[in-house]
Amino acid sequence: MRSRRIVSITIYILASLIGLWAFLSPFLTANLAQSGELQAGGPVAPLLLTGLVGLCYLALLHEAHGPAAGATTIALLGILVSINAALRFAETVVPGPGGFSPMFLLIILTGYVFGARVGFLMGALSLLVSALITGGVGPWLPFQMWAAGWVGMSARLVRPIVRLVRAERRLGEVALLAMFAAIWGFLYGGLLNIWFWPYVIGDAATSWLPGIGLQESLTRYAAFYAFTSFGWDAFAAIGNAILMALFAAPVLQALRRFHTRLSFRYLSPPAPTATAPIESIPQ
Amino acid sequence: MNAAPLHPFAWIAWLAAVCAVLSATRNPLHLGLALLCVLLVTITRGLRPGVLRLAIGITLVAAFFNLILARVGATVLWRIPGSWPLLSGPLTLESLVYGALTGLALAGIFTAFGAAQGAVPTRALLDLLPPAFAPLAITLTIAVAFVPATLRQLRQVREAQLIRGHTIRGLRDWSALLIPLLIGGLDRALQMAEALAARGFPDQAASRRSPAILIAIGLALLAAGLLINAWGTSLLGWALTLLGLGIIGLAIWLAGRNTPRTRYRRLPWTHSDTLVAIAALVAGIAFVVPFALPDRAVLAFSPYPQLAFPLFSPIHGIATLGLSGPGVVLLLASGE
Repeated sequence: MRSRRIVSITIYILASLIGLWAFLSPFLTANLAQSGELQAGGPVAPLLLTGLVGLCYLALLHEAHGPAAGATTIALLGILVSINAALRFAETVVPGPGGFSPMFLLIILTGYVFGARVGFLMGALSLLVSALITGGVGPWLPFQMWAAGWVGMSARLVRPIVRLVRAERRLGEVALLAMFAAIWGFLYGGLLNIWFWPYVIGDAATSWLPGIGLQESLTRYAAFYAFTSFGWDAFAAIGNAILMALFAAPVLQALRRFHTRLSFRYLSPPAPTATAPIESIPQ
Repeated sequence: MNAAPLHPFAWIAWLAAVCAVLSATRNPLHLGLALLCVLLVTITRGLRPGVLRLAIGITLVAAFFNLILARVGATVLWRIPGSWPLLSGPLTLESLVYGALTGLALAGIFTAFGAAQGAVPTRALLDLLPPAFAPLAITLTIAVAFVPATLRQLRQVREAQLIRGHTIRGLRDWSALLIPLLIGGLDRALQMAEALAARGFPDQAASRRSPAILIAIGLALLAAGLLINAWGTSLLGWALTLLGLGIIGLAIWLAGRNTPRTRYRRLPWTHSDTLVAIAALVAGIAFVVPFALPDRAVLAFSPYPQLAFPLFSPIHGIATLGLSGPGVVLLLASGE
């Protein structure tokens, strides 16, 4: 059982590292074709990257949902994902300001209460189902699923901090979760920008070029992000924090209650023995 | 439109070809031809006005951002005065054109996905999941099936709150909608978990045999291959990457073998599907595989440093027509 857990953790780490590599490849590789002159076939690289990310994602999804999925996990995820997809559907009909989206409230709180595995699945499947119902399927979807999965998975990391500052079920817990949600508001947008950034031809101060080095790439990306996305993502971050501040306490209460209620397990009745046949069991 | 449906795999082949073609060229003539093919398919599926609006919006936004960001090009349209970092400087026609071309390619991809998604029912999409992902498919089916019920429940809760005199004035008031919706949903999850368990769905399935070791090995090889290629493309790097991907695929296939799967009705693969898939394959190969066809340099059109009229490669043009496959098949099937 312990070795199975080690293998499982290895899969999570390796798949996440490959996913992170795919996101950060502009900073890490020197081989992508890009410059002021477009090379034929060069822009196909994001598609290849999307395929690679998709395959790794399947491996991780299989590990997260395949072997350990029981009736309770399936039912819980199915319903929570449908609620989140309905929230995103409502957001599509009545768009919020900038990058604001109500989806991350449930993703973060589910990961926080039910753990990293359920949080990861909640993030990934929320994006997938909402894309299916709103017509948002595209090559960007695996990247969105990765990033949203990480949001849910990392929410579990807030728990030790909350314990450390002894803020469980207090205002401090909500404040920490609001901070965490605000940070992800910026990180989510920042991560999703990276996969197409090398293919945007722009000013020398904001464009990626092969061989400019890690530090220069980061400086240029920071300038690109500040100019094109910071304002947009600020709405997402502030919106996340406000939603968390307003709704985290009652949502946490509901999720915790159902976490206990859903922790039931069906046990087989003990097999009747020769010395104590089932008919002779005293009532 | 009541045309005979195409197989989901034929749509996937077409989508892959559209993505490949639209990503591989910024030549306006070839891009335009590919977009016409996508438009034909979209029209045969029933063009929604929202799709055109979105496509125009994407193109305009991309053109605007490239105009603001890219200061490359010889034909200066206007010069932003001052010394504002990132803002001041010349705005060029070339950057506007390049942005619009990139936006058109993106809009084409988006439109193609919209057309294919409208043509393939969600049930058929979920059916494409490999057997190893049976629990995931059940979760997704539950989620997709319950979205209308969730929206209905949201309306019901809102009506109930209105009857109680509760109106939504600010963000805080949404709590009265969100919490009953969540609790109602979780109650349903509890009932569903009990129903699944009562029908013999195992509650703890961790004992199922899973080729996790193989997946871990595949991922490790893949990571090693990517790491080697990050320092410079090499045969060893590609070999490890492909081996890793192969092992992951094998593991998923092995996991799926133990999952019995039945289908109420299998979608048939027809001659039309074969035609669409072959036409898409030809178009994709023509644009992506190096040395597949001559005149490949024509595809690498760039408006920089000075805008010039693009060249046209007839052979690539003919290959591009393969993208109209679903549109032609649907037109013929509907007798128009």
